[in-house]
Amino acid sequence: MTRAPLLLASFSLALCLCGCAANSIFINYPAQLTSVKQRLNGADSQAVAARLADKIPGQDGLLYAQEAGRVAQINGDFGASKDYYQQAVAAYQAFDDKAKISLSAIGATGSSLLLNDNAIPYRGPGYERIMLHQYQALNYLFSGDPQGALVEVRRSNELQSSEQARYQASQASVQAMANGTIDAEVSRLGQAAGTVTSSFLNAYSYYTTGVLHELLGEANDAFIDYRKAAQITPDNPYLQQDLVRLAKQLQMPQYEEFKRRWGDASPPGPQQGQLIMMLERGFVPEKQSLTVPFTLHGNWQTVSLATYLPNRTPVAPARVQGLGSVLKLAPIANIDALAITALKESLPAALVRQVARVYAKSEMNRQVDKHGNGTGGDIAGIAMQLFNIVTEQADRRSWLTLPRQAQLARRFLDAGNYDLSLDNARAQIAVQPGRSTLVWAIDTGNVTRFYTIII
Amino acid sequence: MKQFKLIFILAALMGLGACQSKVEYGDATEVETVNENFGSSDLQAIAAKMVDSMLVYPPVAAMTANSRPIIFVDRVKNKTSEHIDTESVTDSISNKLLRSGRFRFIDMTKVDTVRKQLDYQNNAGMVDPSTAIKFGRQIGAQYMLYGNLSSIVKQDGSTKDVYYKMTMRLMDLETGLIEWSDEKEIRKMKSKSFLGL
Repeated sequence: MTRAPLLLASFSLALCLCGCAANSIFINYPAQLTSVKQRLNGADSQAVAARLADKIPGQDGLLYAQEAGRVAQINGDFGASKDYYQQAVAAYQAFDDKAKISLSAIGATGSSLLLNDNAIPYRGPGYERIMLHQYQALNYLFSGDPQGALVEVRRSNELQSSEQARYQASQASVQAMANGTIDAEVSRLGQAAGTVTSSFLNAYSYYTTGVLHELLGEANDAFIDYRKAAQITPDNPYLQQDLVRLAKQLQMPQYEEFKRRWGDASPPGPQQGQLIMMLERGFVPEKQSLTVPFTLHGNWQTVSLATYLPNRTPVAPARVQGLGSVLKLAPIANIDALAITALKESLPAALVRQVARVYAKSEMNRQVDKHGNGTGGDIAGIAMQLFNIVTEQADRRSWLTLPRQAQLARRFLDAGNYDLSLDNARAQIAVQPGRSTLVWAIDTGNVTRFYTIII
Repeated sequence: MKQFKLIFILAALMGLGACQSKVEYGDATEVETVNENFGSSDLQAIAAKMVDSMLVYPPVAAMTANSRPIIFVDRVKNKTSEHIDTESVTDSISNKLLRSGRFRFIDMTKVDTVRKQLDYQNNAGMVDPSTAIKFGRQIGAQYMLYGNLSSIVKQDGSTKDVYYKMTMRLMDLETGLIEWSDEKEIRKMKSKSFLGL
């Protein structure tokens, strides 16, 4: 009788303590971000980033820093976005610098065994970290610091190559995970993501770093990035043309082969400038939870795992009017496929923690049952079961303001001013001879924002 | 029981005392190893090496034997994967060169300010024309000092290796010849601690 209340008291204390630290433990993360995404999709979205930034000092600071940076960036506040992203970069570096056996990580795993995986501080998957540097590079570029942009591009390249190495190493381990229920879930996710390279590596990041290299006068580096992007997404016609053009310009040995496969590149006229358009559409899908209740030793337990719904309606390629003939954009990367693969890779570890948690909770229940008697014991037993069910929440955290798909197009245009229109959105751009106009469009569903820079 | 309490209180006090933050002055030339990023020690090592190398190089010594050549410093191009203030590196180098008494410098970062000031002196009608400094009397630089800072970063599990290479060159603007060139290499390795917070 004495132990049951003690146990309960200690767990309610643990609850309170963790409740202060991380609010994703009980309120799932996508629900917290719904209003943010709604406001981003409307006209009034200025204060949203600052509200997200208030949560950066908390446990999931990295995630909120990424979201705040992205929200500020979508709103065109590149300076603020740079600061927020910088905090996220610092948080990733702190993770990197952690000791191999870290007390705080052990503590977090320990509390995740009593509560749920949301008690573990958020650390994004590889593709999120690469996109962070990719977006930070665009922040530097649009705030007029090309040298800073190239620094971020190089950081992104370093991460890309380590991700590539990890992907090559993990191919075997990804396939080797055979684990009953999880196996079905993993293979279902595999079908949703596709098993091609494009679900592991992000061609959009390679292309963006390539464009920045090219615009800032490092054509050779751009060629390398474009080639990698083309290995991941081979059927993008603009990317193919870029490769042919750069191979010709740099007198690369691959020029003949590329020319045969994709046709020769037509050089720009003397009074022509280049239009490069990158379009981001929609929001990456939210993780859903898959909850299975069952009884163990006569007590109710649940397991909750994060998953993605199979519903994947294709994103329509955008058509831009106002440039003479219609400019049809071609997809370069599906961010949702990357998200699904990242989840698939993290599931085995989540499952191990899940099993340990079910064991821990069921032991707690049995302790309460064994030592409790009479009404007090019953109440304690029921309270324990409620605690188990309420705390069992899937880890649904992920960077949710990322786009769902990235598309691109490129065309040489006569110098002058143009009125672009994309669905219902309009923008004015200028093209100058011998220079490049980079148009970065972000379509959040109802609103499309255009950012333009001439380099 | 009482002793235990006392020990506990003492331990708690000591723990709290250790948490107190404090500020101290340090030696500016002390070796700094807070993390593996480009730091003050690297900057100082690069500046010292470049200046020493340039001053003892025989052709440069001959060049400065009878006159003080005029140099302008182009920026050092940052080709690393860190945001580094390369102007601060060139400042340190030009400072040391100037202090050696063998060179004179032209500061290209202040050209606009100078132009505004001369414009004010000559055209605003506020300055006595006899004291106003005329346009077109400045002396042209004979040499250009420029450089590249690049890095190679490798990371594998718990080890991180950073290699920096700073290359500097002195070009004769009249002939286009490189009169002097040198590089400074720095390698830093970081291994993660096994146990920690």
